[in-house]
Amino acid sequence: MSGGEAAHDRIMAEAERIKALGEAAERGARDPVNQPTINNWLEAMGNTNPRWQAGEAPPSMAQVWTMYGLGGRPPADDPLHGMMKVLTDEGFTAVLGTNCEQEYRRTLRVGEQVRVTTALDSVVGPKRTAMGEGYFVTSRNTWYVDGPDGQDEVVATMLFRVLKFVPKGAAS
Amino acid sequence: MTTITAGDRIPTWELPITPTLVVSTAISTRDFQDVHHDRDIAQAAGSKDIFVNILTSTALVERYVTDWAHEVTGHWDTEVQGIAIRLGAPAYPYDTLTFTGSVASVEDGLATLTVTGSVSLGDHVIGTVKVAV
Repeated sequence: MSGGEAAHDRIMAEAERIKALGEAAERGARDPVNQPTINNWLEAMGNTNPRWQAGEAPPSMAQVWTMYGLGGRPPADDPLHGMMKVLTDEGFTAVLGTNCEQEYRRTLRVGEQVRVTTALDSVVGPKRTAMGEGYFVTSRNTWYVDGPDGQDEVVATMLFRVLKFVPKGAAS
Repeated sequence: MTTITAGDRIPTWELPITPTLVVSTAISTRDFQDVHHDRDIAQAAGSKDIFVNILTSTALVERYVTDWAHEVTGHWDTEVQGIAIRLGAPAYPYDTLTFTGSVASVEDGLATLTVTGSVSLGDHVIGTVKVAV
């Protein structure tokens, strides 16, 4: 155990506080959906689908548009990074992505401006795993564009789960 | 030309993993985490080498499925509606990522595909892909 019951209580209390924030830390993509960024991705992936040369963006690029980029930092109120910091401070220093579940409502089109929110979905633990003891942290991202009627239109969602853990053999 | 049917097997796709593939795909997904492009840092962090990032695992699953759907149907209109992946062994340079898959079900115009991408260390990615057919 890293920190014992008191640490677990602190972790779960913070998890409840952050979950209650709901969708938070909204931020916009640096650039609108654009062909040069799509082309770089197509070349790297070896993807030759002609639809992605004709005004549509590949579905699994949804997350790319709102990546932080080089040197970008999460907003102070970001629920995922907030929860990660809580666990790091309690000694669960290592991180490993375990699940990524994306749903696409439709393909994005070149020129659309995407934005994303982040919510903390669940924190489960402590669990003993092959990697070491840790907590599974699941966040939910929702990508939006401005719909034609001025309403928010959801274009994609993602559940992302990481194991935040004390590496086996590490002093705790 | 034919249609996508439950029980169909998706032909195996073998993708050699090179340092260039790992780096170019990570950067093209705008993922600048150093473990995806800097071997010294990756090794100092306890990793054997740089390794494929998660956005690329998802993108390669998308390519595997849509290339096959194009072969089967003769068109590119198959809509990918969801990709859910579970991550396992890392994909390092000089290994081969081998994709296999099959059609689990087709109901109400929605096909559910199961896809596995494996490397020498074991399964790198186990995925479920939903496509409108």
